Amino acid sequence: MDWQALALTLKLATVTTAILLAVSVPLAAWLVLGRSRWLAVVEAIAALPLVLPPTVLGFFLLVLLGPRTAIGRGIASLLGHPLAFSFGGLVVGSVIYSLPFAVQPLVIGFAAIEPALVDAARLLGAGRSRLMFSLLVPLARQSLLAAAVLSFLHTMGEFGVVLMLGGDIPGATRTLSIVLYNQVENFEYAAANRTAAILLGLSVVALAAIYLRGRPRGGRRA
Amino acid sequence: MLTAQIQNGAPFDLFLSADLSYPKRLIDAGLADAAGTADSSTPIVYARGTLVLWTRKDANLPPPSLDLLRSPELKRLAIASPERAPYGRAAVAALNSLKIYDALKPRLVTAENIAQAAQFVDSGNADAGLISLTSALTPQLAANGFYFVIPRELYPPIEQGAVIVSNTTQRPAVHKLLDYLLSAPVQAQLARSGLLPAK
Repeated sequence: MDWQALALTLKLATVTTAILLAVSVPLAAWLVLGRSRWLAVVEAIAALPLVLPPTVLGFFLLVLLGPRTAIGRGIASLLGHPLAFSFGGLVVGSVIYSLPFAVQPLVIGFAAIEPALVDAARLLGAGRSRLMFSLLVPLARQSLLAAAVLSFLHTMGEFGVVLMLGGDIPGATRTLSIVLYNQVENFEYAAANRTAAILLGLSVVALAAIYLRGRPRGGRRA
Repeated sequence: MLTAQIQNGAPFDLFLSADLSYPKRLIDAGLADAAGTADSSTPIVYARGTLVLWTRKDANLPPPSLDLLRSPELKRLAIASPERAPYGRAAVAALNSLKIYDALKPRLVTAENIAQAAQFVDSGNADAGLISLTSALTPQLAANGFYFVIPRELYPPIEQGAVIVSNTTQRPAVHKLLDYLLSAPVQAQLARSGLLPAK
């Protein structure tokens, strides 16, 4: 069992989920509270990573973050190394790849909140951030949970983007899904079964723990 | 991938692989054969590959050569997976023959296949790559870069092999296609694709 890859995968999923929540809560609040028609375009763009095949998305990121673009050169001079083939590169790729999985549940959760509550809070003088943290987030706890869980799991199982952007470097970019793919391709089916069992078992345990906390006594509809 | 699919009953008639080990595996498992050829227990070699060192023209590096492989200016060298890709295996063999594999190891980035290794370099993220001459001759890479042919004595031949999937119902047609692939005019055309004839 490749414990290094397991630790790296958990680290990647944790960092990615934290960044995604920090980005997606304000983004989803803006999408729900904002009045401009152009927000429909923003919402559409935020859903785009769902459309592209992950390896193609990874290829575009490889080019975008590479030294042949101004963005890539800027990042490289800032960090002292190019972003591709590094853990930081995987974080950037994962955040973009999993963005819809954080934004969609939050938008649905925020939009389901009684508009009268939002109007009342506004009339009482609540600003954007007060609205967001004192009203939307507490009332959409389940959506926040769903966003976090989906982002985490989607990153745990992420493959195509990591494959393209990572370069399979042990300890830096070799995640569990890459190890699993390598084992399958090398016909090491027994090892592949073990890796898959750990990936699946871990996910079930994490999910059950989270859903248990989110479940009120006597069932969700009590 | 294709080997696993054939093992699980994919309805193919003929399997052409850039890596002899996959068709061999199918023969050993009794799922494929080379019946009707000189030696029916080994895949039919239909072409041989050539390993090259490739760099972008705008990489600010000296033109590709064996010296470039030894140069400290080479920060990232892309190779294909040595566990699966025949060109990856050849790349590691060549670096070992040159006795620079251990020194270069921390600077290697490993791609899943040879096309991806080329993309690592073409996108500017790796300085150079050990890729196939076939890839280096594609219009995109030919326009963007230079290649240097790695001397053949540095790595074992990269043989590409064909096998007939045993439960095919198209045996006569398969043999026709194989005869065509091995015919003199087709073999003479291989060089245009960066391959050497089988014999």
